[in-house]
Amino acid sequence: MTPRRRADRRAGLLFLTPALLALALLTVYPSVWVLWLSLERRIPVFGVARFVGFSNYEFLAGDPRLWNAARVTLAFTGASVALELLLGVLVALALSEQRRGRRTALALLLLAWALPSVVTAKLFEWLYHPSAGLVNFLLGERSLNWLGDPHLALPGLILADVWRTTPFVALLCYARLLTIPAALYEAAQVDGAGRLAMLGRITFPLLRRVLLIALLFRTLDALRAFDLMFVLTGGGPASTTETLTVYAYRSLFQTLQLGFGSAIGVIVFALVMATAWIYLRVLRREGMAA
Amino acid sequence: MRHLSLAAPLIVSAPLLLSTLLLLAACEPAPPRSEPVTLVFKHARILGPSDPLPGLVREFEARHPGVRVKSESLPWNTDEQHQFYVINLEGGSPAFDVMMLDVIWVPEFAQARWLLDLTELLPRAELAAHFPAAVEPATWGGRVWAMPWIMNVGLLYYRADLLARYGLRPPETYEALVAQVKRIQAAEGDARLDGFLWQGKQYEGLIVNLLEGLWANGTRLLGEDGRLFPDPARAEEVLGFLRRLIDTGVSPPWVTAADEELSRRAFGDGRAIFLRNWPYAMDLFELPESRVRGKVGIAPLPRHAHGARGSGATGGAHLGVDRRTRHPEAAVALVRFLAGAAAQKTMAAGVALNPTRTALYRDADLVRSHPSLPLIGALTAAARPRPVTPYYLMLSSTLQPEVSAVLVKVKTPAEAIAQARRTVGYMLRDVR
Repeated sequence: MTPRRRADRRAGLLFLTPALLALALLTVYPSVWVLWLSLERRIPVFGVARFVGFSNYEFLAGDPRLWNAARVTLAFTGASVALELLLGVLVALALSEQRRGRRTALALLLLAWALPSVVTAKLFEWLYHPSAGLVNFLLGERSLNWLGDPHLALPGLILADVWRTTPFVALLCYARLLTIPAALYEAAQVDGAGRLAMLGRITFPLLRRVLLIALLFRTLDALRAFDLMFVLTGGGPASTTETLTVYAYRSLFQTLQLGFGSAIGVIVFALVMATAWIYLRVLRREGMAA
Repeated sequence: MRHLSLAAPLIVSAPLLLSTLLLLAACEPAPPRSEPVTLVFKHARILGPSDPLPGLVREFEARHPGVRVKSESLPWNTDEQHQFYVINLEGGSPAFDVMMLDVIWVPEFAQARWLLDLTELLPRAELAAHFPAAVEPATWGGRVWAMPWIMNVGLLYYRADLLARYGLRPPETYEALVAQVKRIQAAEGDARLDGFLWQGKQYEGLIVNLLEGLWANGTRLLGEDGRLFPDPARAEEVLGFLRRLIDTGVSPPWVTAADEELSRRAFGDGRAIFLRNWPYAMDLFELPESRVRGKVGIAPLPRHAHGARGSGATGGAHLGVDRRTRHPEAAVALVRFLAGAAAQKTMAAGVALNPTRTALYRDADLVRSHPSLPLIGALTAAARPRPVTPYYLMLSSTLQPEVSAVLVKVKTPAEAIAQARRTVGYMLRDVR
């Protein structure tokens, strides 16, 4: 290595330091601390703080509430992300075909995405209201007990999440669609390709990468879903909408079981990391990530 | 131990992290000690047409020259308020002096040594003027940790017009309540008229309803020895009864998602015969635009087969002092002023926050503007606090999903009781 390159390298490291420090301070340090906490029984109210090894995890392994929360989290993530991607692509295609009022449509889409999730939750609380809600009004005689039925509460929350985040996927896809050169379609037309063929051979392959990115973002977000269920159902009925983060929050901040709650937190962390790792591998294979 | 509160939410959820950081940032700079004493008073925003607190605070300042009170609002819901207090009190510097506390937090905060022991700082007779059900949760380990401030009690609301139409009196037992609902519903023939509304959502309110059911059946949640469900057979009866209310159509299916407001609105729209709720609902039922104005009565909660009588659960707010306050005398003076008879009367008159002082329920001015006050006072005198223990929140949070599971038929009462006992046993292994 020449002195020049070494100096460059040193300067590079120097420039990286603030970012690395920030990362270490904001991510690594708390993560390690939570990991450590999860091996403790720590209840500050009672002055209890002692190392218990994997006892919290052992209890959690046989804790039906945890397994239920894991099932709810995965069901919520799978269903909401799948629907959001499907609808997002459809909305993006519709938008790009739209001739008039495209700006208005975009603004309306953004509105749903821009609402704070607590506001969205309150909005849906009224939509699902058993007697005064619009949804049940439209259903008329067959009105449903949306948030109070163990079979309907989770689908109800998934619908709310889909309403809120479909615009995100739609806008990402729409932006990609705008960059597909019209010449491609014209050439295809000249070759006698129909609309379906163009969709399958040009549009979808070119959307693929942006869809993978959207999938990554949405999955990681959905695995940590919290606000909607916290405001709308409190995790009920019968914990059918209690996600892992809601369970962790309750243990940490309501019952102040810091060690136990941290163990749940570590499980969420592991789940999110594993998912991210799988996605990143796929993306790398696609040649999209270093 | 600040990093403790910071670390946990980081991996849990971004919004939590953000709020935690904001909270930490908000409380970081300790105000420099200036000559005039400044007290920071943390309280929930009081909703209603006119918030009486600013006026009361100004009055206090006028009476205590050299003391300034800085009012700061808490987050909007009690879960976030609790989280806010825990993070700040467990953390380093004193960020506030006087705080409004939900009545169920007092033993927990006292146990954690976050509150100033008020036992020696209050005249002995001071607490005697308040309802016993308000004083009991302010006391933990034989010491006084907070002053009762705002009172709440569970009541049975009934449609007096409907009951009168069929020559019925408010039911004394749940059996009678069910019979009255069936009779009135059959005679009215209105499919939109529900029977008995209560709070069955998976949240704290559900546990309040459960407690009232247990007391009404002559049992309790925690035995003398601290055991959960000391009398499981009676607890199963109560849980089974709640579930049957829904099965038999006495209560609509949506009570499993109902909180106070959802049930209050439905009753206020004239769509139910009975409602379990807090006193605030009465003021809303009596508004000029209310559809049930003049048609609503208040009665004690009914009892079950094994109970002597029904009692409402109490709720409300207490005032506590941060143990690390630099101005304990001024802080205690503010607490005593706000919990005093004059201030409580102002609050009761302004926004109908019921007083914890028994004498005010016979106050001529208040009774004139709130005619139901004497009856509410009598019911409060017979009411009971939720279990007074530092781990009440843990108990409640463990029980909520279990009780909810019974209501929606995911678990039988026996299964729910067994699971709740198992979990609580694990949580409390080191604590008692």
